Amino acid sequence: MSSIHALAAGAHIPELVRTPDPVDLFGFSAAAWLLHRIHYDLPFTTDHDGHPGLLVHGPLQGTYMIQSVQWWLGYEASLMSVKYRHSSPAYAGDTLTCGGTIGAIDDAAGLFNAELWVKKDDGTVTTSGAATFKIPGVTTSATRSEQP
Amino acid sequence: MADEQNTAVNVITEQARQWATEPFEQHETTVSRTDIARYARAVGETNPVYYDVEAAQRAGHPDVLAPAYFPYTIRMQAAHLIARSDLEPDGSSSADVPPLPTNRAMAGETRLEMGALIHAGDTITLDKRIVDLYEKSGRSGALVFVTTEFVFTNQHNEMVMNERFTRIYQ
Repeated sequence: MSSIHALAAGAHIPELVRTPDPVDLFGFSAAAWLLHRIHYDLPFTTDHDGHPGLLVHGPLQGTYMIQSVQWWLGYEASLMSVKYRHSSPAYAGDTLTCGGTIGAIDDAAGLFNAELWVKKDDGTVTTSGAATFKIPGVTTSATRSEQP
Repeated sequence: MADEQNTAVNVITEQARQWATEPFEQHETTVSRTDIARYARAVGETNPVYYDVEAAQRAGHPDVLAPAYFPYTIRMQAAHLIARSDLEPDGSSSADVPPLPTNRAMAGETRLEMGALIHAGDTITLDKRIVDLYEKSGRSGALVFVTTEFVFTNQHNEMVMNERFTRIYQ
């Protein structure tokens, strides 16, 4: 369990790198019963929609942003709210780096804000937003959870 | 006559405005351990609270826990578990899509407010409604913004997630 007292406003969230490939995209589509071709049908996506590759789902990128906090602070950092928007497409095989900074901290309530983003290798931001998390008020040091 | 900026766009028909006021069918599903495991694997989670009942119980949960944005799968199922012939040629569903001259859409903003946690065995009810429908003139023509609110409630009548998702049609 993490402590909100270990957090500092302005601190950088350790970067989390994800490289979703077609298997990851298909798995996410399957789990959500999401049948849109742009996530698994490459010829359709390139020839019909004019994209250079299969599109990474927006909600999957939103999930990566949430994970960048939860995999750092542990799952006791529970998500209270989040808002995000997409500014550029991300494609299968892109290296997506998720990061951000800690914003305002409310010690008494155990709440903190985080500004979050997902970027490609060339620096293009594909998704960005802000979230509020809650951490129970138990004082142990922050530990990073195992990543797959 | 309205000013020039407003006359530039007139894509939202009366039919579309009427569509936005019509109620959607409620969707209900009981969440299984398999549903949760499938989603947790799909997003790369490794924490046993999502897979192992005993690990979840040791962490104080009544059953395996669902990851934060799991309700997304419920709203997608609600839209896509329809007859194959009702899907669009690109595989997408028009269940939440207003009658517009275009179906070329971009994702706009997503806003989530989280409530009670979801565990395997919970029965989740989804209510959706259109909360905003408006148009703007963009550089390449009219843009129509459609914001849908998805309210997920559990069997104890507790809100588990409220999502406001905006789609932008070109």
